[in-house]
Amino acid sequence: MTRRGNVLDDSWYLDYAAGNLESKAHDVIMASHVELSDEARQRVDTLERVGAALMGQKTASGETLGFDVDDILRRDWEEVVDAVPVPANDTDPDLPLPAPLTDWMGETGTKVKWSFLGPGLSKAVLWRGPRGQRLWLLRAQPGVSIPHHGHNGSELTLVLKGSFWDGETQYKPGDLEEAHAGVAHDIRIDEAGECVCLALTEGKLRFDNPLLRVFQLFTGL
Amino acid sequence: MYAAASILPVRAREDLLENRRARMTHDSERARPNTQARLFATLMGRVGADRDREAFAALFEHFAPRIRSFLINRRVPPALADDLTQDVMLAVWRRAASFDPAKAAVSTWVYTIARNLHIDHFRKQVRAGKMDEQDPYLQPEPAPEAEELVSRSEDVDTVARALAGLPADQKSVLELAFVEGLSHSEISTRLDLPLGTVKSRVRLAMTKLRLSLGDDA
Repeated sequence: MTRRGNVLDDSWYLDYAAGNLESKAHDVIMASHVELSDEARQRVDTLERVGAALMGQKTASGETLGFDVDDILRRDWEEVVDAVPVPANDTDPDLPLPAPLTDWMGETGTKVKWSFLGPGLSKAVLWRGPRGQRLWLLRAQPGVSIPHHGHNGSELTLVLKGSFWDGETQYKPGDLEEAHAGVAHDIRIDEAGECVCLALTEGKLRFDNPLLRVFQLFTGL
Repeated sequence: MYAAASILPVRAREDLLENRRARMTHDSERARPNTQARLFATLMGRVGADRDREAFAALFEHFAPRIRSFLINRRVPPALADDLTQDVMLAVWRRAASFDPAKAAVSTWVYTIARNLHIDHFRKQVRAGKMDEQDPYLQPEPAPEAEELVSRSEDVDTVARALAGLPADQKSVLELAFVEGLSHSEISTRLDLPLGTVKSRVRLAMTKLRLSLGDDA
């Protein structure tokens, strides 16, 4: 039996819609997921309506504002319109990146620099955060396997192109997989074509195979 | 997400409002929030198309105090809350042409702008090391019950009713997330509940809301 892995637990959408995710990298990967997945978009739409309703409550104290609408219009007149973020200039037709990712890359000047990860695998680290957090792109050739591995921390993997299998569950573009710390899994790239994923990982991957652990010293993942 | 503006021509919007008014005489009870929704959408359309200052003033009067109290509840100091509220209203004014009434209610659009500007500011502060989230003096007042919401605005009425229909434990999880700005793991700490319990409350609340708000695909 095959299953489709597509959406995360609702608590992820709540944290996203309420603006309570822990880092900018989490914002970027969730916003990309919401952009690519209709199902994720629907959940977030519902929750944003809840956010609007809860923001709709009047100020309890009824205090008056220290500014008025003319202050806004004066600022509009006086302040230069914000520069439009420059999109990342290394657009690659084979590398479809969602707008929230390219917007962030444009703002921060982040570039995609591919490096060797393993046979048929390359990686491009985009961001490094506390506790070994990394936001990175994985590019994998059709049919490649990423052997049995666990995680020291959690891992989010968003499919941007192609598809992969984790056991019997298939992940397609827009699908976001959450792998929990301590749970080992095998990843197999679908035979149909190249697969590109955006991943947010915490801590290093832990391979069962000691040879791969040695190999890790060279690849840095 | 609001990249392309597709705003109804003014004439079409007025027709919609006319139809609405005609129907209101028949079912006044349920027509009100929707009329408000159309009014806000019409005002946004006028700001977007004609830079209509009166329309913007009406939106300002409704939304500015609500944005400010949203920020105050999230432990933003008052002076900064004033600045950020102005930033949000300035963004509403400048981006009005990109508002698409087919995609969301005005209140939802304004909420997402406020949320995003707040996150941007918060992330910069964290980088600069200025935040002390544990500071007891910065803890907000408890959130009012959903029933107490002033429900004169659009969609907000429908959603407030749906929220009021949730069991108290599910509703309070949503209030802690949206009003106080706590993540689901922070909610589990605050309520001294296992993470799994908070997650299941969120799931149950979502299932009910998706049914009652007609968002179930």
